Amino acid sequence: MDSFIQLSNFPKIAPYAQLFRQGLLVTVLLSAFTVAIGFVIALLLALMRLSNVRPFRFLGLDKDGHQKESGILAAISRFNPLSFLATAYVEILRSTPVLVQIFIIYYGVFSLIKLPSFQMFGFIKFDRFFPGVVALGMNSGAYLCEIIRSGIQSIDGGQTEAARSLGLSQVQNLRYIIFPQALKNILPAIANEFVVIIKESAITYTIGVQDIMFAVNAVKGATFIIIEPLLVATAIYFCLCFPTSKLIAYFERRMSRGDKR
Amino acid sequence: MATRDKLIQVTDLKKHYKMGTIKALDGVTTDIYRGDVMVVIGPSGSGKSTFLRSLNLLEEPTGGAIVFDGVDITKKKYKDANGKTVKLDIDALRQKMGMVFQHFNLFPHMTILENMVLAPMKVKGISRADAEQKALQLLDRVGLKDRADAYPIQLSGGQKQRVAIVRALAMEPEVMLFDEPTSALDPEMVGEVLDVMKELAKEGMTMVCVTHEMGFAREVGNRVLFMADGKLLEEGTPEEIFEHPKHPRLQDFLSKVL
Repeated sequence: MDSFIQLSNFPKIAPYAQLFRQGLLVTVLLSAFTVAIGFVIALLLALMRLSNVRPFRFLGLDKDGHQKESGILAAISRFNPLSFLATAYVEILRSTPVLVQIFIIYYGVFSLIKLPSFQMFGFIKFDRFFPGVVALGMNSGAYLCEIIRSGIQSIDGGQTEAARSLGLSQVQNLRYIIFPQALKNILPAIANEFVVIIKESAITYTIGVQDIMFAVNAVKGATFIIIEPLLVATAIYFCLCFPTSKLIAYFERRMSRGDKR
Repeated sequence: MATRDKLIQVTDLKKHYKMGTIKALDGVTTDIYRGDVMVVIGPSGSGKSTFLRSLNLLEEPTGGAIVFDGVDITKKKYKDANGKTVKLDIDALRQKMGMVFQHFNLFPHMTILENMVLAPMKVKGISRADAEQKALQLLDRVGLKDRADAYPIQLSGGQKQRVAIVRALAMEPEVMLFDEPTSALDPEMVGEVLDVMKELAKEGMTMVCVTHEMGFAREVGNRVLFMADGKLLEEGTPEEIFEHPKHPRLQDFLSKVL
């Protein structure tokens, strides 16, 4: 019987199991670092977007020091450069392909910045791994920013009003009232982003990061077998992502049970 | 009246939106004296909540002045006693004005006790032990000491509002602002909240209260303000307002609510 899968091919690629093991480690490390970097970038971006920095505020004040209601000057006085920059970053990163971003980071930015070429764990090429993490981190930072921002904005405005009327400063309000409540709401979305990143990280093989897809290509080059290594990769990705998303769903259920709302 | 201490002086307060086409507050002038229990009544959309929320700058007025403790708090900067220009410290100001909201706004991720000690500890720098002792005392006063370790979700509406009141009191404010504190409550719980407020009034706390509870206004208030369309249309003692209303809008309003 003719089949596009030939079981006899599996023993032939078995000697390359080590490549897949290494690929698995790289993919997991890549995803973990990406989420960490992405979260830090996202937190900064979200705070920038929600900030109230208005360098031209004085233009919008009348002679008594009250806020003017309308006019060009009032509009300029509301301009927030931090929020503008963060919004521009998020929109650009979300509206261009990850592949393009990775190439620009790897061939563009890191052709100017020379990275030390050493190997982590004896085989991970740092000068490829690092640009991959930076590019993916910057990209997921844009998406996580929107998650964090929506989480913060989902908290009822009355919470801030109550906190501020008690004399808490804006920073204290964020730290003690808003973040703890927002974090609980957005944890599932952040964990979901983690699963997305595990899958998206496959794209970094295009700049030579030795992840699972890199192992597939290496085996293909050595043995001219293509489908079976791909099936192995599929199985590995599935075993990474499926339990993770199940685990998230479990915690999501447990957390919502505590709400009793 | 002259011997009494002026606490807040409101002059020609304005809050306009959308190029002045919407006037939520349209020139309100009044004085609040220490020990006053001022009740603000009026139809919905009359600007009474906006007026109250302007007093601690939850709403930023677009005109007029609010002088509190000798400082016009609608200005971002002011000159202090030595003639030096200083920035208005809005957080320091709000500590002195307790506020109670229609929807309680307790912090749902904290226990009742944590709700009560947060601001005294983080804003005033009081030790946890002292803050907790004070909080328990206050909770005891409103009969909720045994619920100190409960979460807001486990409390009834009336209990939540009583906690919200003592949470504001824990900061030892000079004036308490109430924004329709009983409007979101089931009818049978209104009484327990009003009782706490009456108690407060008896102790001499300065209060400004936006409410639809005409009974409370009549019984506890020493001054009643009637607002409509962002304007202060009539002001007087409860007797003057309820027994001898002069303004036709007030007469019309009272005929509907009484």
